[in-house]
Amino acid sequence: MTTKAKEKPSNNVRYMLAGGSVLAALGLVAEPSAMIRRGSQQDQCQQVVSSSARLSREQLSRLLSIAERSPKAKVEAIVKPPYCQLANLPVRAGSEAQRHAYPLAFDPKTWVVILYEGNEYAGYAFSLRQ
Amino acid sequence: MPDTRSACVSKGSYHLGVTLSLLSASLISCQPAQEPPPLNLNLHQQWELQPGDTLSGYLVSGGLGDISIELGGNSVYAPFSGTAQPDQRRCLIFSTPDIPAYLFRLCGLSQPRYGSRNAGEPLGQANTLQLAALRKQPNGTWAIVEPSKHLVERVLTR
Repeated sequence: MTTKAKEKPSNNVRYMLAGGSVLAALGLVAEPSAMIRRGSQQDQCQQVVSSSARLSREQLSRLLSIAERSPKAKVEAIVKPPYCQLANLPVRAGSEAQRHAYPLAFDPKTWVVILYEGNEYAGYAFSLRQ
Repeated sequence: MPDTRSACVSKGSYHLGVTLSLLSASLISCQPAQEPPPLNLNLHQQWELQPGDTLSGYLVSGGLGDISIELGGNSVYAPFSGTAQPDQRRCLIFSTPDIPAYLFRLCGLSQPRYGSRNAGEPLGQANTLQLAALRKQPNGTWAIVEPSKHLVERVLTR
């Protein structure tokens, strides 16, 4: 009986070690950072416009209420000058896309990227920054 | 009394082990390497023939709005860092936060690679690639638009 009682703690340690090893192995295999979309060369700031620019919750919710293909001015009236501009890029033939980036005031590692074509608002995306 | 306590602790750690294993399994299932569920895209243009349809027993490999490129089995690459998902017709849909309001549809890939891809990583190979650019519309549909040469080149070169 006494021997049995002594064996049990070693079993505990074994279970804990097994669980821990599985988790550690997963850390190597799953590579959590790969689950997050990383920024690439093309989404680097080309020019900082307003270093203090942040998007508040209220501005974000107003931005989300604007339909795609609305006039650019309608969006700019809400979001004000961006933190920075990303490189202009032809996505569609015959049209140069302008991209403005805004860190969120309540989550600065998440940026909102807004795409315009000419005087038209095309849409937005959330981009995670490191 | 000490025996009972010891048994409880042992049971607790056993459960902990099981829980950790289950957690591990769920983490593995989150990996981007596994094929994500297909996207059901509503296209703005209601064209009768779409890539993936069959007509008189033959596969329709491209439709109106697809750019066809003879790749001869070569690879295509992620034009930006983003995510590759299958659509309901087994084409690859590529999205990236670098280009809001756009999706890119690649049909004809032999071994499409789904999940998170860094810019320049291969998305698959094709004999004939069918590439379409889709632009988001205010009603939530996606309009096929003409992609720029610059963008097509980014898909063709690493």
